[in-house]
Formats: sequence, C-alpha cells, structure tokens
Amino acid sequence: MKQPTGQISRLGTFKYLAQRFAFLSLIGLTFALMLIGKADTVIVERVSMAVSDAVTPILRVMAEPAASISKFVTNVQELGAIREQNTDLREINARLLEWQAVAQKLENENRQLRALLGTVNEPEARAVSARVVADYGGAFAQSVLITAGGRDGVAKGQAVVTGEGLTGRVAQAGYRSARVLLITDINSRIPVRVGEAGDRAILTGNNSPRPRLIFLGVKSAIAPGDRVVTSGDAGAFPPGLPVGRVVVADESSALIEPFVSRDRLQYVEVLDFGLTGFLADTDGPQ
Amino acid sequence: MTEITQRRTTWKKLDARVRTILPFSLTVTVLLFGMTPTYVPGLAQITPMYTLVAVYFWAIYRPDLLGYGLGFAIGVLEDLLTGAPLGVGTLVLLLIQWVVFNQHKFFHAKPFVITWFAFGLVAFGAVLLKWVGVGLVSSSGPTPFGDVFASYLITVAVYPIIAWLFSKVRSGLLDEP
Repeated sequence: MKQPTGQISRLGTFKYLAQRFAFLSLIGLTFALMLIGKADTVIVERVSMAVSDAVTPILRVMAEPAASISKFVTNVQELGAIREQNTDLREINARLLEWQAVAQKLENENRQLRALLGTVNEPEARAVSARVVADYGGAFAQSVLITAGGRDGVAKGQAVVTGEGLTGRVAQAGYRSARVLLITDINSRIPVRVGEAGDRAILTGNNSPRPRLIFLGVKSAIAPGDRVVTSGDAGAFPPGLPVGRVVVADESSALIEPFVSRDRLQYVEVLDFGLTGFLADTDGPQ
Repeated sequence: MTEITQRRTTWKKLDARVRTILPFSLTVTVLLFGMTPTYVPGLAQITPMYTLVAVYFWAIYRPDLLGYGLGFAIGVLEDLLTGAPLGVGTLVLLLIQWVVFNQHKFFHAKPFVITWFAFGLVAFGAVLLKWVGVGLVSSSGPTPFGDVFASYLITVAVYPIIAWLFSKVRSGLLDEP
C-alpha cells in the first residue's frame, strides 16, 4: 500500500474509532439517565422544569395560531346553531332557576345542621387560572404544560380542573410553568367514589382515553352511567370533584369516560386547598 | 478598506455558524411543533413522532452536522419535555443514527421512495423498542400498543412532508455549489 493512502485510511480508522467511542459512551450515559430517572430524584424534576420554563414562552407563541384557528372554527359552528341554542338555553335557565332555589334552601339547611353537629368546615380553595400551551407525549405519556408555576402559587400535587371536572394533578411545578399529569396517564392514580353507593376505588390511567377503576373492598352493582367523583382519601384531592361517568362495567373491570377531554383543553384552573397529601413531597420537615 | 473586509469575514463566519446548527435547530423546532395543542379530537393521542423523522433525515443527508452528541441532546430534551421515562427516547434516537451511519452506503443517494420505505422499517424498530423500553422503565406496565401503532403510521405518513421541507432547506442553505 502506498504512503498517502495508508495515511488516509489511518485517519479514517481514527475517525471511525472516535465515533464508535462517542456512540458507546453516549449509550452508557443513556442507561445512566434511565437509572437516575427511575430513582426519581429531585434533580431530574428540577432540570425538567427548568427546561420547561425556558421553552414555555416559545410554546406560548407557537400555540397561538392553532388556538386562533380552533376559536374561529368553533365560532362559525356556533353561529349556525345560535337560534336553536338560544331556545335550549332559555329552557335550561328556567329549570336551573328552580334548582337554584332548591340548592339555596338545602345549603341553608346544610349549614344549620353542620352547626348543630359542630362539623369543621372544609377549606376554601384558592384557584389559579392558566393556559395550556403544550400537549406532551403523544401515545407514550399524557400530560400538558400550563402557564402558571411556583410564582403563582402552583405546587406539586394540586388538583387541576376545568368547568367540566377533574383534569389531572400538578406533577412538576417550575417557576412560570407546570406539568399537569392527566387522569388518563399511565402513572395517574386517583382515589374516587363510584355511583350513589359511593364505593371506593382507585382510578388508574392507562394512556387510553378511558381510564380503569380498581375497586377497594366492597363493590356493589355498578352500571354504565354512574358518576365518579374524587373521594378525598389520603388527602390527595378535595372530595366531590366530578371525574367522569362509567361506560363499561362488567365482572372484572370498569372503564370510565372522563368529563374533561384532552383535546379541548385550553384553559384550566389549579386548585389549592392547602392539602398536603401523599402526592406532595414528603422529604420536607414534617 | 481592511475594516470592511474584516467585517465581511466576520459576517461570513457567523453565517457559516448559523448554517451548521440549522439541522439541530430545525429538529428542535419540529419537536416543539409536535407539542403545540391542535384541539383536533383524538389527534393528541397519536401525534407523529417528529424527532424520529428529523434525526433519520439528517443522519442520511448531513451526518456531519447532526452527530451522536446532538442526537443525544435532542433525545434528552424530548424525554425531559414530554415526561416520558428519561433515557428511553434518547436511546432510540441514538440507535437510529447508529443504523443509518453504519449502513451509509445503503441509505446514501437513493430514490426518495426507497428512503421512505427504509424509514418505515427503521421507525417500526424504533417505535417497538420505545414501547418495550417505556413499558420496562415505567412502573405501571405497558402502554396500549394500538395508539402507539397508529402514531407510528402517522409518523410514516408525515415523513414526505418533513423530508420535503428539510430538503428545501438543505439545497437552499446548506449544500452550496
């Protein structure tokens, strides 16, 4: 072999080896990352939220066009049905006024009875409104990024709701953004009560639009259509937040359809009840 | 006179620098784009995995500008942002690069249809590996495969669009005559 070619091939070999070394060490680093992530250290969470905080302003701008288009489409659709809707709304309004009277009467009665029994009042919630700027994860994880964080009083473990019901909980809170784990995520576990009997169950996400109910102890007859609300067990969430409706109920399993749909999330409210349940950090001073 | 020339070379240097980070910044852009909410019912579930497309594309056409280091960076960024188990997506992207770099003769200068078909194969392996990896690392067991497969099909379907956009950038800005 001639001299120059030999040099070139030696250079090529060197380059090849360097690349191979880079590849192998990065693969090693990746496995190290998996271990760190699995150990669930605070560092991963901090870094993750720092990254989210940094990209939130960009995502906020990027989310604008889609939001505008969606608003426009909804406006046009609503315009077509406005007359019909108006009649419907009038009817509903009349009915709701009756309900309001009933509710007021019951609330008064409830207050008097509570006073008689000496019940401790439940804490009032402080709500923070935030915009959803990113829907993460596709098929592998179900979480959204919202534009409120530590500076607005958002903290890990707080319940996130919309007008329809429970959306999820704050999984990580950064300074100006927070990651909300939706109730459909595979890592989501929510203590709930089902139906009129109020059977206790754990709502377990499975990355599909219909999370599953796992019953604790007694399970009475559950039928499709039964309402599912948060139970407030373990101090994770305030009790009574609407979650969804049972759609499939057989011997082995029950699936629910959440009231809140992932696709329609634009604004959410983060509720702070001052609860520090098991979902909040436990490594602080007790 | 010399000042002007100097300024010109500074601009040129800056210009060259910006061009070399284009593949990386475009990949991050499509990653963020994939995260913006579309408000289309059912779409969030099966969002295409844009980074697979981007990393595969640049591994074939400009491996010098998006090597293992940047591939790793993109993977970590994606895992941190999406809240998926850390490291799994990173591993998948690195393996895609490894396959393409090692079979460079096969991938290089092939008609579009063949590159697309090959992407279908590579991406299937990648998605399968990610599914298994996420299932193993997360404590809650595997994600239903149906949505993952639908997401895979959509990823393969959007490949031509992303590849077309990227090749416009490549021929316009990166590969100077």
